[in-house]
Amino acid sequence: MTSLAGPDGRRLAAFSVASEPGNERVALARVAEAVAASGLPPARLEKLKTAVAEATMNAIEHGNRGRAEIPVDVEVIQAGEQIIVTITDLGGEHEPEGQAEEPDLARKLDGEQRARGWGLFLIRNMVDAMQVRTDGPRRTIQLSMRAGPAGKPAAYPAASEGGPDEAGL
Amino acid sequence: MKQACEAAVHAVPGAAVIELAGEVDGAAAGVLNAAYEQAVDGGGPGTVVLDFARVGYINSTGIALIVSVLARARSERRTVVASGLSDHYREIFDITRLSDFIQVFGDLDTAVSQLAGPAA
Repeated sequence: MTSLAGPDGRRLAAFSVASEPGNERVALARVAEAVAASGLPPARLEKLKTAVAEATMNAIEHGNRGRAEIPVDVEVIQAGEQIIVTITDLGGEHEPEGQAEEPDLARKLDGEQRARGWGLFLIRNMVDAMQVRTDGPRRTIQLSMRAGPAGKPAAYPAASEGGPDEAGL
Repeated sequence: MKQACEAAVHAVPGAAVIELAGEVDGAAAGVLNAAYEQAVDGGGPGTVVLDFARVGYINSTGIALIVSVLARARSERRTVVASGLSDHYREIFDITRLSDFIQVFGDLDTAVSQLAGPAA
C-alpha cells in the first residue's frame, strides 16, 4: 500500500476491506477508532464517518465493481491538526454512476433525476477537502479534515511512495 | 455489526407514524416501502411521520429511499414530516434540501402534538 505518512505525519491505521456490500460500515468503524484520540470534535467525527462510508461504498460498488477478492485499501494519517484518510480501489478512472451531475432534490422529486446519486455530494459537504487521483488502475480519494474548528486545510503536496510511516506531507 | 432496518407503523390523530430503527441504507428499501404502504393503506391519513429516533445510520442510498418515499407521497398529495433526527442527520437533511420539503421536528411527541393542532 502506498503511504502518505511522512516526517510530519503519523499513520493511525492502514487496513483493507473486501469489496462486499456493507463493508463500508467496517471501514467507518475502524477509521473512527483510529482517530478517537486525535481531538476531532464529535460533530466533525460524524461527518468524517459519513464521508468515509460513502467513499468506501463508491470504491466497492463502482471501483472494484463488487468483486470481493479485490480489496479496498484505507489509510489514516494525522499530520498536526490534519486528519487525512485515503481510500483506494482498483477501478482506474471512473465516475460513480449518477453522481456526475450535481443532485437537485426538486428535479429528483419531479422525476428528472434519479433518486440516487448523493454519494459524492455528501462527501464534498462533509470534509474540509476532497481530492481524487488515479495512477493506472489505482484510484484514490483523499479526505482531509482539520481536527479542530471547521476550516479549509492547506494544500497538500502530491502523495509519494514513502515507507509505511514516512513521506512528505 | 449491521442492524437491519425495522419499521413499526401506528396511527395518531391526523397522521400515520412510521417508527424506523436500525440502519437506513439500500437494504432498507423493502421495509420502508412496505411500511409506507401500511401507513397509507385504504387511502389513510394525509400526513406520514418518519421517526428516526432509533436510527443509527443513514447513507446516500438511504437518502435516495427517503427521496423516493417523499416523491410518492407528493404525487398522492400527502405530507411527509420527520422527527428524531440526530444533529448530524438533521444537517444532512439541510444540505440535501430534504428539510425544504419535509418539516423536521425534534422528537415524535412534538411532531404528533403539532400535527394534532392546538387543543380545543
